[in-house]
Amino acid sequence: MITFELNGEAVQADVSGDTPLLWVIRDHFKLKGSKFGCGMGLCGACSMMVDGVSTRTCVLPVVAVANRKITTIEGVGNPQMLSTLQQAWVDASVPQCGYCQSGQLISATALLKSNPNPSSEEIDQAMSGNICRCGTYPRIKKAIQSAASKAVLTGQSTQDGGVNIFEPGAQAKEGMA
Amino acid sequence: MSQQTDPLISSRRSFLKNTAMLGGGLLIGLPLSACATAGFPKAGDKDFQPDAFLQITPDNQVHFYMPRSEMGQGTYTGLTTLIAEELDVEPSAIHVHHVGPLSDYENPEIGFQATGGSTSMRVSFKPLRQAAANARAAILDAAAQQLNLPKAQLTTQNSQVLAKGKAFNYGEFVEVAAQLGVPDETPLKRSNEFKYMGKDMPRLDGVAKSTGTAQFGIDVDFPGLHRAVLVRSPVAGGSVKTVDDSAALAMAGVKKVVTIYNGVAVVATSYWQAKQAALALNIEWNEPEKLASFSSDTGKKWFADALNSGDFEEAFELGDGKDGLEKASKVYSAEYWAPYLAHSTMEPMNCVVKIEEGHCDIWVGCQTPDVARGLAARICDLSIDEVTLHSTFLGGGFGRRFNSDFVAEATEIAKASGLAIQLVWSREDDTRHDFYRPASLARFNVGVDKNGMIESWTAQRAGPNIMPYTLDEVVDGKAPGFMPNGLVDWLSKRGYGLFNGLTVDHSSVEGLYEDYDAVNKDVQHVTVDPGLPVGFWRSVGHSFSGFFKEGMMDEVAHGQKQDSVAYRLAHTKNNPKLNGVIKLAAEKSLWGKPLSKGHFHGVACHNSFESSVAQVAEVSVVNNEIKIHKITCAVDCGFVVNPDIVKAQMESGIIFALSAALHGEITLKDGKVQQSNFHDYPVLRMAQSPEIDVHIVASDKDPSGVGEPGVPPVAAAVANAVFAATGKRLRSLPLSLS
Ligand code: FES
Ligand code: FES
Repeated sequence: MITFELNGEAVQADVSGDTPLLWVIRDHFKLKGSKFGCGMGLCGACSMMVDGVSTRTCVLPVVAVANRKITTIEGVGNPQMLSTLQQAWVDASVPQCGYCQSGQLISATALLKSNPNPSSEEIDQAMSGNICRCGTYPRIKKAIQSAASKAVLTGQSTQDGGVNIFEPGAQAKEGMA
Repeated sequence: MSQQTDPLISSRRSFLKNTAMLGGGLLIGLPLSACATAGFPKAGDKDFQPDAFLQITPDNQVHFYMPRSEMGQGTYTGLTTLIAEELDVEPSAIHVHHVGPLSDYENPEIGFQATGGSTSMRVSFKPLRQAAANARAAILDAAAQQLNLPKAQLTTQNSQVLAKGKAFNYGEFVEVAAQLGVPDETPLKRSNEFKYMGKDMPRLDGVAKSTGTAQFGIDVDFPGLHRAVLVRSPVAGGSVKTVDDSAALAMAGVKKVVTIYNGVAVVATSYWQAKQAALALNIEWNEPEKLASFSSDTGKKWFADALNSGDFEEAFELGDGKDGLEKASKVYSAEYWAPYLAHSTMEPMNCVVKIEEGHCDIWVGCQTPDVARGLAARICDLSIDEVTLHSTFLGGGFGRRFNSDFVAEATEIAKASGLAIQLVWSREDDTRHDFYRPASLARFNVGVDKNGMIESWTAQRAGPNIMPYTLDEVVDGKAPGFMPNGLVDWLSKRGYGLFNGLTVDHSSVEGLYEDYDAVNKDVQHVTVDPGLPVGFWRSVGHSFSGFFKEGMMDEVAHGQKQDSVAYRLAHTKNNPKLNGVIKLAAEKSLWGKPLSKGHFHGVACHNSFESSVAQVAEVSVVNNEIKIHKITCAVDCGFVVNPDIVKAQMESGIIFALSAALHGEITLKDGKVQQSNFHDYPVLRMAQSPEIDVHIVASDKDPSGVGEPGVPPVAAAVANAVFAATGKRLRSLPLSLS
């Protein structure tokens, strides 16, 4: 039995410890937002935040996340309550097929948490682990920049390091708990 | 859209067959297929699989049953916008549903229900608007009767009828409207009346796809669903000789191990268990000899030998190409090569199949649902009415999901195991068992007259054809039910031989010769096919011919000491659309003006899917590394329903094509594909993506394709810029200077 925190809730999984976290989340907890793309840590479709860091979970055995905090796309926001970044994604019509976008949003969210106003090169760097086969990169960058400038302009700042990732922050977090 | 393929005109008589009550409300259906005459069957009682495009319910909900697949190209938004405009409803208020197969959803240009060939907007533009306009007229008729007012005093606004300062929901009138019937051929809005069409609008699937809530095939799940992993013959077309499954069967979670026509499947409770157990299988294979004897390092000679054999079929003639070459004052000759390519959709192939009590349910995201359903029916020995196909979003298509091999596999596994299963391909499976973009070798001889104008344009292409591989599936999936299986097998297997001898597959030569003015043209084809399955890869034949033809044109222009843009303009006098985009791309890229130090421009243009695209690449070369800084793109795709989606599709096509231009290559060793995942089959990442600047030509012509036409010019624009930078002419893909 492995215990960890999933989107703010303590959970337990009765699975073999070498099972990659991705499959535990998808098959066991039935959260389907995180995707399978390569199984080798190469594409980022399976990205989740592990203690706030965007992590490839298709190659991460579930034992490695015991007692840690996991945030999946379902924990970032939802259709009724979009995060600032998700809203920027919708406004810029970022997704095409959409399959990579959960992973993209996780990496972008983790980036803005640690670096609220990234340069173009810093965005390239932070997003380099996430492939989009539909080629939405120009729009992803635009959406990150617009979310970052919005957060800076409106002076929203949170305990997360200067960027209000969740909008409106407090309620979204309550909603998830 | 040409007159004879315009479904509106050809199906005028049978247009708008039916209105019916179904769970209350007004149902509007229309046949997109030119010859559809049947009315709409009743919705199945097992599942909600309605048979209409449009439904308006008494509580004022508008439902649109989308006849095409959404795989990123924007159909979901684009087609819904057509409905919204003529029905006068907010696009975002319309409930959009993916639907299963129905003959009335057939693609009139393809002949079955298919999403491909960049046709969705092209073939839906008028029929869907007409359906919605007629529905709105029917509601107004009913409102006039119910409110006892002359129709002229009624108008509509956002799902409501306005009368004498009051607003009434459409839903209040649908029952009467259904009884009164739906008028035919209501006039459509004029472009100056458009509220939604022609404007940038956010994608309607944007929220679902930004929150992880959009459902793809791989996300389908229900209690009792098992996962399956299939180990296929490493040489395509092989079969199982012997299998030792004892170790696999002993592993945790494993329920069944079954052998099907192309491999051995492990069925387990979870994907990870199935995947681990599949590694423990011990299989010997029967391998097809011809493909097993093919290796890429020596195999290019197969293509060269074919080209040298002189054993050509004539594909196209205008004037006398050979005579033109003899009379020419100068002849330019060159050979171009393009390798096999995998699609690498982000979502690996997958399919859920449940067979129970004489019924088969399939959940899948695919481009050809009725072929898939037909294949499953044949495998299960059921009629197509006993097979229900539930469509989902597609995590990328690019032509890969035009094939239904993964549906056939999943159905075979479900049948053999007796369990409801989800077949999930790994990335390795996906890279190694694709229907690849056909490798191609082409030779051009282009003759120029004494004035420097092209006198004769001739091309010869050697390579495999796509159609035989497609025929195999389509015959199996679409053969009438009364044909015995044996006959269908014979026909589809024979199809290969029959086809290759019968005619030149147009997709093998398309794009090699059409675009430039020349009085003499000659195109010949010779088939050489090692036996690796080939299929439709975004822009199909144009994916290689765009590179070939545009490289060649640049060579001729350079040989004639002409400016690349000016020379193209001089040879597109009969092709005003292409001429227009070349001018626009040149103007917007500041062609001919000084660039940053070390930066060079290259231009290319191409017509495909009835659209014209020109691109200028800005490139630098440092230590033999090609860096692409910017692509300026001009497109003429007729009237644009949503400019932002057209721009997105150009961006997408450009980045997709850059992956191929810089990295893409599938190679074989003894018939086995050597690449497996994104480390050895890399695709572009954000840091390598150039700035992209898209310009759309304003047009009131009917819409034409956008999903694919952005692809063909890209590699040539880059190669031509590399030539400008280095003087080296790159005639082989992927582009490499070392
Ligand atoms: S699926 Fe995990 S990185 Fe690709
Ligand atoms: S949106 Fe299709 S892979 Fe990124």
